[in-house]
Amino acid sequence: MVPETSTPAASGTPPPAIALDLVTRRFDGTRQVTALDQVSLDIPRGEMVSIIGPSGSGKSTLLNLIGGLDRPTSGRVRVDGEALDGLSDDGLTRVRRDKIGFIFQFFNLLPTLSSVENVGLPLHLRGWPRARVAARAHELLALVQLGHRLQHLPDELSGGERQRVAIARALSIYPPILLADEPTGNLDTRTGGEILALIQALHARLGSTVVIVTHDLKVAASCGRTIALRDGRIVEDVRR
Amino acid sequence: MILLRLISWPYFRRHVLRSILTIAGIVLGVAVFVGMHTANQSVLYAFSRTVDRIAGKTELQVTAGETGFAEEVLERVQSASTVRVAVPVVEAVADTRQRGIGSLLVLGVDMTGDRSLRDYDLESGDEAIVDDPLTFIAQPDSIIVSRALADRLDLGAGSGLPLLTAEGEKRFTIRGVMKASGLASAFGGNLAIMDVYAAQKMFGRGRTFDRIDLALKSGRTIAEAQAELGALLGPGFQIDPPAGRGQQFEAILAAYSMMVDISSLFALFIGMFIIYNSFSIAVTERRAEIGILRALGATRRQIRWLFLGESAVTGLAGSLLGLGFGLLVARLIAASIGVLISDVYGVARQADEIATNPALLAAALAIGLATSVAAALIPARSAARVDPVQALQKGRHQVLSAGESRARIGVAAACGALSLACLAAPRMAPAWVGGSRAIFYLGYLLAILVALLLSPLLSLMLARALRPLLKRLRPVEGALAADSLIQAPRRTSASVAALMLSLALVVAFGGMARASYDSIIDWLETALNPDLFVMPSQNIVVRTIRFPPGMGPEIAAIDGVERVQMVRDARIVFRQTPVMVVAVEIDSLEQTARRDPVEGDAASMYRLTAAGEGLMVSDNLAQLQGLKIGELLEIPAPYGVIRLPIVGIVVDYSDQQGTILMDRQVFRKYWQDDSVNVFRVYVRRGASAAGVRQRIVERFAGERQVFVMTNAELKAYILRVTDQWFGLTSVQIAVAVLVAILGIVNTLTVSIIDRRRELGVLKAVGALRGQIRRTIWIEALSIGGIGLALGFALGAVNLHYLLQMIRYDIAGMRLDYTFPVNVALGLVPAILAAALVAAIWPAESAVRRSLVEALEYE
Ligand SMILES: Nc1ncnc2c1ncn2[C@@H]1O[C@H](COP(=O)(O)OP(=O)(O)O)[C@@H](O)[C@H]1O
Ligand SMILES: [Mg+2]
Repeated sequence: MVPETSTPAASGTPPPAIALDLVTRRFDGTRQVTALDQVSLDIPRGEMVSIIGPSGSGKSTLLNLIGGLDRPTSGRVRVDGEALDGLSDDGLTRVRRDKIGFIFQFFNLLPTLSSVENVGLPLHLRGWPRARVAARAHELLALVQLGHRLQHLPDELSGGERQRVAIARALSIYPPILLADEPTGNLDTRTGGEILALIQALHARLGSTVVIVTHDLKVAASCGRTIALRDGRIVEDVRR
Repeated sequence: MILLRLISWPYFRRHVLRSILTIAGIVLGVAVFVGMHTANQSVLYAFSRTVDRIAGKTELQVTAGETGFAEEVLERVQSASTVRVAVPVVEAVADTRQRGIGSLLVLGVDMTGDRSLRDYDLESGDEAIVDDPLTFIAQPDSIIVSRALADRLDLGAGSGLPLLTAEGEKRFTIRGVMKASGLASAFGGNLAIMDVYAAQKMFGRGRTFDRIDLALKSGRTIAEAQAELGALLGPGFQIDPPAGRGQQFEAILAAYSMMVDISSLFALFIGMFIIYNSFSIAVTERRAEIGILRALGATRRQIRWLFLGESAVTGLAGSLLGLGFGLLVARLIAASIGVLISDVYGVARQADEIATNPALLAAALAIGLATSVAAALIPARSAARVDPVQALQKGRHQVLSAGESRARIGVAAACGALSLACLAAPRMAPAWVGGSRAIFYLGYLLAILVALLLSPLLSLMLARALRPLLKRLRPVEGALAADSLIQAPRRTSASVAALMLSLALVVAFGGMARASYDSIIDWLETALNPDLFVMPSQNIVVRTIRFPPGMGPEIAAIDGVERVQMVRDARIVFRQTPVMVVAVEIDSLEQTARRDPVEGDAASMYRLTAAGEGLMVSDNLAQLQGLKIGELLEIPAPYGVIRLPIVGIVVDYSDQQGTILMDRQVFRKYWQDDSVNVFRVYVRRGASAAGVRQRIVERFAGERQVFVMTNAELKAYILRVTDQWFGLTSVQIAVAVLVAILGIVNTLTVSIIDRRRELGVLKAVGALRGQIRRTIWIEALSIGGIGLALGFALGAVNLHYLLQMIRYDIAGMRLDYTFPVNVALGLVPAILAAALVAAIWPAESAVRRSLVEALEYE
């Protein structure tokens, strides 16, 4: 099979960070739901994109497909030019742990691990030596201004602090792609603003590609590009 | 009970595997209970049926242990006013030398009178011979066999049948064949009948009978006859209904029964823990559901009954399955312990039928049900206490509250103190309290209770201690596995407790086996040191064929023989229990196998016993019957009552119920019997044992049947028999492994459900399948490891109690306490392997689970 590229003419230019080609995702339950319906989308490297849309419009599904947490029913997802459909479960995991950082609405920190341990988790999973893991975790926690909360358990942190730990964890591998699913959805407005500012600062500093799902139009407006979803289709795609 | 159908059934269907595991807990308990008891009963039943069949219409039997008595006793019995008919019997075991047939029980009877007690039920055409018994008697080679045996040997009336007798191989002529029923079906047909006087000669009995079977005059009671005959014959005789032999057999099985009881008790306990585990997990998991039900108006009572109802259904299903499995297991166990019957009859007879006792089955069903409901009591209560508002919010409910821990420690401390008090009681309290076995067993029970109470706290502590270690090993997988144990002690503790109990049993049995082994081997080395043993049968326990004493000098005259000792052993009834009398030439014994007594002075012990002025008893007899050195024993014998003091207590494992050692002259005097069971032969220095053995066999060829066993062969045989007794240990190990698997699967299944989100996050941030699997394996191994640690600790305590039980209640063996390190070391890989096996399925299902669903917010 000849590998196709989305931009065959410009073979010299690097592939987009994220490319979706007629991606459909259906859920077969008691009733069938088409969460994403033939969505095609390119996100170039270094872009910061916000995704908006009403609840149930398929935003999370889109993000999960990009992150390789889920597989499309049909269509193809490429990350850094690599097609995800041919990959095994562990293959997907490798893409994820080398290229993608995840930030969830509900933080998803492991309750029994301290901040440092949570942040070091992806690094340990990659088999890094302890000392290096510790150094990187300290560095990142300092970056998210949590240098004083190293040994705290998630339970002992505020919502904003927890999300910052989660961000530090997502950044621990210096991922080229950062995916955030309503990162401020569970925080009050002020803390939400701070977290967003942090993500933007990191984007500027690390040059990662960022995809952020949000309900907050102000957040959306602060991104270079906004994609609106409805009933599993892209209804709007604007660059500012 | 509409709730059961609406609420429980769907839950069951969603958690089929776990429900099956829960049921398996009860299946295990009930199966072990039913299996072991049924096996036990089957063996007893097979035995008593054999006794019945051989006894025919006999109402009373006169015996003197198994030693036999002089012919003249028959006339005395016949003269009794209560006796209608009394006939003599000689029982012996003869080898057919045919593969697959083995030994026969040969019944020597008096043809003229015996048919009024026993119906031979001869096949037509054979009647003539027995109608004229004199023809039968006139030809001493006459024999009657069962149809089954005739078929198996492919012989008919008139054919010759070679049998091994005391006088070597003899050719008998089959003069009649019994139809396959009643008498002929005892021992599966391995039975033959011959004339009693011919039997005396063939089996080296001299002019003695083994037994007199009698029937009473109509209108006379058994009690009357027993009284009359008792007065007539003196205390050396037992006058009992045939069933009495069953009781004697029961006494032999007593040790085994005791083990069976302990095992089944543990099995039920373990089953209870598995159920408790499942139900408390279910309650935690279904809190939201319970909250909704409560919010919808269900009362606390209804909630409690819902859970109790579920446990009753589970218990019933488990018990029914357990019955089925139990009967299967019984078949296996019965086959292995059926061999014990040969200890009484010399003819191995397996319990081919399983005696299903409806009462036992009903009891098992009730116990299974009760265990299940009892195990669910606490979870049901906590379910009923669920607060509807709190239940609908999420939170951690698994943690042991500080208050509960303190309460547990308090109760455990109290129980522990009491248990120690029970241990100290024999030394501190007055004898009537301290010596009481009830106190001892109370202490035992309390000790186990302490272990159970403390097991959640201890496993928590061990998990905490394990965490840094696991974290060093695997920073993510190890730490998370330990956290999983620390976070949800309830999830883990019941599995650990079940594992602890079953391992404690294995360790204790293993320790006991080890100690008995050492002790028995020690005895074998010192007491059984002759080079050769000359016996009349291949089967050591057969005491029904004996040698005349004249053979002694004949063997001694054989080239290469240094010394010959004549041994006569026989089981007699002493203080209502069967014990073994061993009569030897004590002065000769002192020179070859002198041993230090446990109590008494070696020199005077041998001197007094040899002079017929004292007796030596085995340590186990002394322990079991509370005998002291210097105590005057009264042993009723056919020719008077022996009244001699105990001059020494020695270790001797000839018999489980105990042994009395006396000089040969004493036995000859009180039993008027100088026959010999075994010649102990010492080979002259420089002569080869094999050569001497060959010469002995050749010397008696064609004249007498002799089997010569070397020292090594005899030891191997005794150790083999010992092994059979400890076969139970292997059953226990199997149960322990099963418990480990059941408990760990149960715990892990829940653990991966509880940790869904956590495992999802792990995967989302880059954990490979192998890493997810590994954390679950590590969790399983940790549970196994903690179970092992606690099991060894409780096992160490359990072993102490078991040894005490062995010493005072079972076998009278004084065993040294040594922790069975080998058994323990062997268990480590077994249990850890079981843990890994248990983790396979949960780990795979954790790996397979959809990531998106795991990460979904509630
Ligand atoms: N695992 C799932 N099973 C079934 N349906 C799902 C699943 N995940 C999402 N859906 C459905 O797909 C649609 C899109 O969901 P989602 O992507 O979560 O929406 P959003 O994040 O925009 O709120 C919804 O209708 C949702 O019910
Ligand atoms: Mg969403």
